Amino acid sequence: MSPLANLPMIRLLVAKDWDLFQRQLAAYVGAGILALALIGSAKPWTFYLGSLLLLVVLVAAACFAISTSLLTERKERTLGFVMSLPVTPLDFYLAKIAGNLVTFGVPFVVLVGGTAGVILSTPVPDGLLVWSLLVFGHVLLAHAVSLSVAMAVESEGWNTFAMIASMVLVNPFIMMLGQIPAIAGPMRGEAIVWSAEAIAILSTQVLLSAAVIGFTGWVHCRKRAFY
Amino acid sequence: MPPAHGAPDDARRVPHRPGDAMHDPSRMHHMDNLRALAMLAGVLFHAALAYSPLMQPFFPTADRSNAAAVDAVIWFLHLFRMPVFFVVAGYFAARMVQRRGFGAMFRDRMLRILLPFVLFMPLVLWALSASTLHAASTVAHPSPVLQWVAQFAAMDDAPPSPPSTAHLWFLYYLMLFYVLAWVVDTLGGARIGAFLRGLHPAGLLVALPLLLAPALAMVSAPHPAPESPLPQWWALQFFGAFFALGWLLQGHDAWFARLRPVLPWLVPASLALHALFLHQLSLHPPGPANPAATWSLALLQAFTSVWMTLACVAGARLLLAWRTPLLRYLADASYWIYLAHLPVLFVVQYRLMDLDWHWGWKLSASIAATLAACLASYELLVRRTPLRRLVGGAATSPSVRG
Repeated sequence: MSPLANLPMIRLLVAKDWDLFQRQLAAYVGAGILALALIGSAKPWTFYLGSLLLLVVLVAAACFAISTSLLTERKERTLGFVMSLPVTPLDFYLAKIAGNLVTFGVPFVVLVGGTAGVILSTPVPDGLLVWSLLVFGHVLLAHAVSLSVAMAVESEGWNTFAMIASMVLVNPFIMMLGQIPAIAGPMRGEAIVWSAEAIAILSTQVLLSAAVIGFTGWVHCRKRAFY
Repeated sequence: MPPAHGAPDDARRVPHRPGDAMHDPSRMHHMDNLRALAMLAGVLFHAALAYSPLMQPFFPTADRSNAAAVDAVIWFLHLFRMPVFFVVAGYFAARMVQRRGFGAMFRDRMLRILLPFVLFMPLVLWALSASTLHAASTVAHPSPVLQWVAQFAAMDDAPPSPPSTAHLWFLYYLMLFYVLAWVVDTLGGARIGAFLRGLHPAGLLVALPLLLAPALAMVSAPHPAPESPLPQWWALQFFGAFFALGWLLQGHDAWFARLRPVLPWLVPASLALHALFLHQLSLHPPGPANPAATWSLALLQAFTSVWMTLACVAGARLLLAWRTPLLRYLADASYWIYLAHLPVLFVVQYRLMDLDWHWGWKLSASIAATLAACLASYELLVRRTPLRRLVGGAATSPSVRG
């Protein structure tokens, strides 16, 4: 059965995830708006508090979406029920990707846009935009890796490790950015400088994210059964 | 229609002629009329800013001819005009959610709020910018802002002006409040709403202003318009409270009956508070020396806002629950007037700046010309065209009016 032929079932699986997630997603969206409002106040302490809250919201949304949509589903034997439905492993994969696009992708895009708006429309130096996008790029890559691991590996331990390790790596990543003069230098200035280093890092993050998700999809395409 | 849906009693008594929106029993006439009057008040407010001594350093169309009496009137209006709009918006949003759910409400608001915001904001910003730049180079008696614009335009390396939503900030905040309404509802906000509705209205008349005063103390007095594309904390708190109030009161007519004993006192009490506000404002005028309102100014603004907004909404139920073709027409045209009036007003007032007229004549002429242009363009561009579905009045679908 082609994935398109089973679109109604994929839609139902996404709707199921939406029903399960919407309370938590509502909390993340509310916290995201609060974070943007704090950043928008353009005072040093509200800016730092808002930025921190924004990062916490993003990481929490990323981990929560994976944990609830895949890991808890396995634990509570919901997957057994899903397997009894007329769905192929690819349908299941597409439903999970679509579900995560909503639960993580929508807040992610809104928060990236909001952060860019904050930087460009407040006294915060515009040079911070490149650095911020690179940090968002890391969160995107970490989410893609965690999602793929969760889809491919059943072990809860490995999944927890993948999520925590990939997200915590944001700290050394931020430190690493601080060590690159072409990125750290223009951060406090008004000019938005897209250095070769910054372009290379961002391209790698986006391409790796797409490759990891694509590879997981390819593996699922070849599966004839769920296990 | 059951009373729980919030239809006024008179609407159920009047026979409905099929196909005649004027006699549609689901129509909330007092809310339509209130919206039309609030829109007219908006045109008056924006037009009068040019003749306000307080706004001379800040408003592009500030005129040589001005009067302190203008300040006394418009800053009173300012404190409840937009809150009334937010109460009406919250009321209709709750009504649609109650009838058709959040999904339908979001779909409708994407079409009626987000799409017009995205489509018209570039046009409005371009029109305001073009007329201001033209005026800066042609007006013989420019305002301080126009003088600054002329100097700015002459600079070779002038930085771009900060992004703004202009007067369309209202649409932007509405979208935020629709999302936040879903957040609060999903997290079990209905229980809090039921608790708040159970309180006596007199408690709300005291508690709500006290809750809103800290938000108003964060910004200058009179409070500015939150035109930045970023959500402003004070505006979320202040205007969000009025949106929530409209949401909570939808379908709860009994609450207004409980408010009725204090209703006659709200307007005179608010006028007295406003007199105090003007006195305090003369001691702490807005400017670099007073970037934020004093606590007394914030409290006076908060009490006047809440009391006058409730007086308008409750008063409309008593005094405006009837149908009139003129107000119905203005209510239908109000969205278009809201979108179009400021660019038109700027063009008109820039033309008036060099005339040696009394401010009263200039104010009357600018209001008349702006309304005439807006209504003519409504007839030509909106009322009988597909644009009506986006920015026209309640037409064919009940979803349009919530």
